[in-house]
Amino acid sequence: MIVAALLVPSVVGLLLMIGRAHVPGRVAARIGTAAMATSLVLYALVWEGRDRVSGEIDVAWIEPLGARLHLGVTYVSWPFLLMTALMGLLCCLWLLADDTSPALVGLVLVISASSMGVFSSLDLLLFFVFFELALIPMWFVIAWYPAVDETGVQRRAATRFLLFTVAGSALLLVGIVIIALDGGSLQLLTAGTGSLAAAVLVCLGFGVKTPLVPLHTWLPDAHSSAPTVGSVLLAAVFLKLGTYGLIVFSQVLDRFDDVAPYLAVAGAAGIVWSALACYAQDDLKRLIAYSSIGHMGFVVLAISTQSTVGLAAAVFGSVAHGIVTGLLFFTAGSLRDRFGTASMARIGRGLYARAPRLAVVFVFAAVASLGLPGLAGFWGELLSLRAAYEVGDVLTKPVAWTALGLALLGIVLTTAYFVRAIRLVAQGEPTPHEADRDLDRREAVVMGLLVVAVVVLGLAPNLLLDLFEPVYRSYAQ
Amino acid sequence: MNIPIDWTAAGPAAIVLTGALIGLLVDAFYPRRTWNGPGLPAAAALVAAGVLLVSGDSAPVPFAFSLIVLVGTLFVVVASNVMNFENAMPPGEYHFLLLSAGAGALLMVTARDLVTLVVALELLSLPSIALVGIRQGDARAIRSAWTFFLASVVSTAITLMGVSLLYGVTGALDYVGIREGLAAATVPDSVVGVAVVLTVVGLLFKLGAVPFHVWIPDAYVGASVMVAAFLSVVSKAASLGALLVLLSVALPGAGDSWHPVVAIVAAVTMTIGNIGALRQDDAVGLLAWSSIAQAGFLLAPAVAVSTTYGLSAPIQYLAVYALANLVAFAALAVILRLRGSTRLEDLRGMARNDPWMGIPLVFAVLTLAGFPPAVIGLVTKYVVIRPVVDSDHLWLAVVMGANVMLGLAYYLRVVVTLCGRSAGDPYVSPSPPVSVRFAKSTVLIGTALLVALSAWPDLLLTHLP
Repeated sequence: MIVAALLVPSVVGLLLMIGRAHVPGRVAARIGTAAMATSLVLYALVWEGRDRVSGEIDVAWIEPLGARLHLGVTYVSWPFLLMTALMGLLCCLWLLADDTSPALVGLVLVISASSMGVFSSLDLLLFFVFFELALIPMWFVIAWYPAVDETGVQRRAATRFLLFTVAGSALLLVGIVIIALDGGSLQLLTAGTGSLAAAVLVCLGFGVKTPLVPLHTWLPDAHSSAPTVGSVLLAAVFLKLGTYGLIVFSQVLDRFDDVAPYLAVAGAAGIVWSALACYAQDDLKRLIAYSSIGHMGFVVLAISTQSTVGLAAAVFGSVAHGIVTGLLFFTAGSLRDRFGTASMARIGRGLYARAPRLAVVFVFAAVASLGLPGLAGFWGELLSLRAAYEVGDVLTKPVAWTALGLALLGIVLTTAYFVRAIRLVAQGEPTPHEADRDLDRREAVVMGLLVVAVVVLGLAPNLLLDLFEPVYRSYAQ
Repeated sequence: MNIPIDWTAAGPAAIVLTGALIGLLVDAFYPRRTWNGPGLPAAAALVAAGVLLVSGDSAPVPFAFSLIVLVGTLFVVVASNVMNFENAMPPGEYHFLLLSAGAGALLMVTARDLVTLVVALELLSLPSIALVGIRQGDARAIRSAWTFFLASVVSTAITLMGVSLLYGVTGALDYVGIREGLAAATVPDSVVGVAVVLTVVGLLFKLGAVPFHVWIPDAYVGASVMVAAFLSVVSKAASLGALLVLLSVALPGAGDSWHPVVAIVAAVTMTIGNIGALRQDDAVGLLAWSSIAQAGFLLAPAVAVSTTYGLSAPIQYLAVYALANLVAFAALAVILRLRGSTRLEDLRGMARNDPWMGIPLVFAVLTLAGFPPAVIGLVTKYVVIRPVVDSDHLWLAVVMGANVMLGLAYYLRVVVTLCGRSAGDPYVSPSPPVSVRFAKSTVLIGTALLVALSAWPDLLLTHLP
């Protein structure tokens, strides 16, 4: 089932790229939606329960290296997989328009499929192959399908994104080599290493991807250059490859404990730093990109505690960020489709009066992102704070509580910049613009689905949290 | 005087040399200036040598290197057919020189004493130099050959100096004798160190390692494309094979003196090669610099040459590098013949409007970069990093990782250019030469192999030592 769930979107994606001249954009988007829906349903059905690896497939692959084609769904990867399939589906829905390039739909499918491959891999080398597979398609999405045409800018942003990520993954590759040599196993569930070098390399590698301050400089430019679906996939899926990697590799690395304090501080510093940076942004997409760094800071802080609460917080925070930030980027994309820019100054004020539904969705997404109780963003942050407050076995109290203090400060600042953004765009004296237009049906469907998801996760967090209750630190054993 | 000759080792080389002579004679008596006359006996000799090699029972390491040399030379011979009826290229001499160099390469990887090594080195070098300058009336090729010649002579002289020092220290010329002599030697370590380092200089030169790399871009760009392919694959394979055998059989005891040298040379080579490639606008020049960088990757596992993976990793990496490089060069040779240019700008959009040449080129470049979907490139990157980590050279492994990133910067440029939209109508050659089909078929066969290996990396990893 997993193989089918991975093959359907990737094969359909490749066919769409090859046959791009013969398929109209709208039809391509429909086909893509169907493929992603198949994947989503298959991944939902494959679930066999928390205590076991669902839909496991284990076939010999490269005997001399000990690498196997080992796929399966664990209770950690399942939420990530469902979220990825959902976001891929919504991106295809979003592309249901006449001017869509079929190749772009194909790229979205390939990127989603390889990301799902990462989340399904139980073999480290296979994990790495999928991890790299999505990068070049993403380069093309960022460089070739920009929403605003400024020659050269997108290519530079895309190349910087690619080189940063590949530098990170090259370190990760060296880390994987150490793990394989040390523990004698490449299987995620049995591998283990006591090497400090492996821990440092792996954490640096995922730190670039997550991204952790100060390795984040590729992110804002990549986001502001990318088309809407590119931004959504980057934020909702690509950053999750980093956090998911940290979560699962922290179980493999015995010396993760030595790196954890630095991760905690870097995460907490990222929360504050990104909030301050957000306050200075005029471009909405850059603002959302920086806010993503803050959210990832909460997730990394949670992971660094290595407690049950921390694990739950990390998974919940990742999934919630995917949905909420996806929604934010879709609204920013709507604004950019209308006004040709995501600059708050150029969009003008009083959107409540000019495009009421769009304004309401934007404000809803913003308050979800700043962590209003009752919405999805709240639980991830709250659980992260609790994990830091309880310190856990790995961090020391001064480190954990310093991080906690920084994170609390960050929450205040986050509220401040989102309120500023809401004031600048939604409220105030309306400044009419000839491009004012409320949500059309396609946008309403995509955003509506996400709004429902945000509310459901916010009101019934136990849907997700129940997965984590009885498990203690090392889920793998 | 009775010199013992091991015919299982020397047989294939003898057959290849015979093929070279027959090719030359065929061309002398039937001077039709077509490539099929000398090409056929040349290819037949290579196949026969391959059969002899496979049916014999040689040791796994020389066997693997010999096979790579033979297959690589065969590939070059077949793809060289792209130059059929090109008036400036004399077919008889070309095949003769190519096969002589091939025989030298075969002898180099099977050599077990220093005299054979030096003779084989010269047998490989001199025809190679002539091959670079063989195009009649091409002043640039002559200049490149001249540079190549000077650099080659200097490095051979240095190697001879090292060989004589080693002989003086150990009193032996065969590898096993040298190892025993070094173990019992009473001379200071510094002398042994100098002797060892000087000896490997000539091999590093052929491999194209920094600081002996400056001849490579010049020679590759000046020579015809398939000669560049030969230099980048066969010549490199031979020198790597000879170097690894020399280090692992004769000099493991002197490891302290050459480990740091090899590690630093490898690190600097891959970095300089990658940085040089970043500045190239011509596909052949880019591949020339990239082959310098790849030499660094090939050399790095030599620091662990006495461990289990240390000897097998460079062989596996070399096999994949050779195949990808041959595919890329052969595709470029075809493109040069049809379009008259290999500048990156002129290749724009090839994957769209000429997929049968463009896509193989994309796949070969991705293999060299070690990037999925060319999984085999990534797997062999993993394979060469493994012994380096295993022998506690973590810094070198990190440098290799950084260079994977650096390399991607220009490989990506090639991929993007090939996949991009071309500005005007696709170029169509007004009168495509018929002979291109041989080269085209080698490109496609090579690509098919690369794809198959990407799907089942096991095929390569279990069948090479």
